[in-house]
This record gives sequence, C-alpha cells and structure tokens, in this order.
Amino acid sequence: MEIEDIRGNFKPELIPKETGGDIDDYEEALHVLMKFIGSMSSALEQVSGRGANAIVYQAGKRMGHEAGKLMEKTDDVEKALWEMGEVLGKEFYFEMWKPSDQEGYTIESNGETSVKLLFSDCVVRQALRRTGLPQKGPLCYLLYGYMVGAVEEVMDIKGKLDIDHIGPNACLKTLTIKWGGK
Amino acid sequence: MVKINVDEDACVGCGSCVEDCPNDVYELDKEHGKTVVVNEADCMACLSCHEICPSQALEHEDIHVAKRLYIDRKVNKALEKII
Repeated sequence: MEIEDIRGNFKPELIPKETGGDIDDYEEALHVLMKFIGSMSSALEQVSGRGANAIVYQAGKRMGHEAGKLMEKTDDVEKALWEMGEVLGKEFYFEMWKPSDQEGYTIESNGETSVKLLFSDCVVRQALRRTGLPQKGPLCYLLYGYMVGAVEEVMDIKGKLDIDHIGPNACLKTLTIKWGGK
Repeated sequence: MVKINVDEDACVGCGSCVEDCPNDVYELDKEHGKTVVVNEADCMACLSCHEICPSQALEHEDIHVAKRLYIDRKVNKALEKII
C-alpha cells in the first residue's frame, strides 16, 4: 500500500477548518478503533472477569454525567429522554417502545417509573459485530452507564438500565427511575 | 406497523424463532410444521429471528434498518471476486 505524504505549512495557533482525508480514511480509522475497543473489552473481561462490567459501567456513567451537564434539567422523563437522544446523536438512535396492549410508554409502580427503550443504531453493537464478540458483554455496559449517568444528571434522581433483549438490528432496554433523589 | 413474511417453502418448522422472540410474535403451526406470524404489532424489528433462522425464511418489510458500519468494504470486494 502506498502512503501519501501530505506536506504543507502549519502554524500551531491556527484552528484547522477541516480534518482532511476522505471517506475511505474515516472508514479505515473507524474499523481500527472498533477493533481496538473490541480487543480492550475482551482483554478486560479475561483479566477482571465480571468486574469488567463494573469498570466499563463506571466509565460510561462518568461520560453520561458529563453529557448530562449540557442538557436542560427536567422532571419529565419523556423530555429528558428526548434531550438525551439529541446529545447521543444518530450513532445511538433510540426511541421509546411499548407492547401493543400497553397504554402509555411509562409504567409507575412502588415509587419507580420505568420506560422501555429500543436502541436501533448503536456504535457498541457495531464494534462487537466487527470483532466477533457477543452482545450483552462489558462493552454494552458503557451505554448502560452512559444512559444512567445522563438521566441522573438531567433529572437528579437514581436510575438503572436493564437489558431485556439483544438483537442484530435493535436492543430493548428498560430504564427505571427511582424518585426521591440520589 | 411491521409486516413479516414467512417463506413457507423455506421454513423447516424448527421453532427457533418462536423460542427466541421476546414478544411472542410467532407461533408454530404444528399441523403444517411451519412458523406463523400471530402478533405483528409487537414486533420491534430486533431481527433476532433472522439471525437464528437456519433457512433464512423470514423477511421484515418497512423497518428501521440499523447502520452496518462493521462491514468492511475491502473484504467484501475481495470476496466478490471469489463468490
């Protein structure tokens, strides 16, 4: 493979207006990153066993709290989820889901509110499929932590996310919110 | 609503999709030994049934197809020459 040498003048104080490269470069970089992440995840699981989930969860939660700081605070679950969707962007496209016989998206019971979320596009799933790793492993806990961190930050409550079902095209998760503060 | 087509000629009636679906979208017609769709309304298009079906007898119409960023176009190009 021939590597092109790109030469030009560069001043450190200038903010580059573009990253350079074309779609093939991005694709290659993305695939290398996916392979790195997959290897890290499997090595983490090999070394730490089930503790790997907790480590990745914590990393995701921290990211979620940081992202949550950019969002508007609210007590409304549906509004919070919409805000989170905006921040998470197209790479984690999710929507609320309910079985056909259920009236609303949210279910209230014992001071808790739960809502089912269907994740259609997910970078984590892409990375797992790229590296041939099974779903529901440590890497899935990154998104788990991210959602919990973000919802905790936006709503100032305690939350948890359970994985109900995993699939190649979408994953169903239940977000449970415990009212009454952290 | 999602529309699911079952290729009756391809379906071997193994019941894998019935067992795998979390929302009971399918049932096994024991008389004919084929899968039948009984609850399309609850299909969330996770496509677990596609992955588990040994004869690729299922087809979903009008669903959100997740991005396939994991596909390596270079590998595909190389494979195209062989297949």
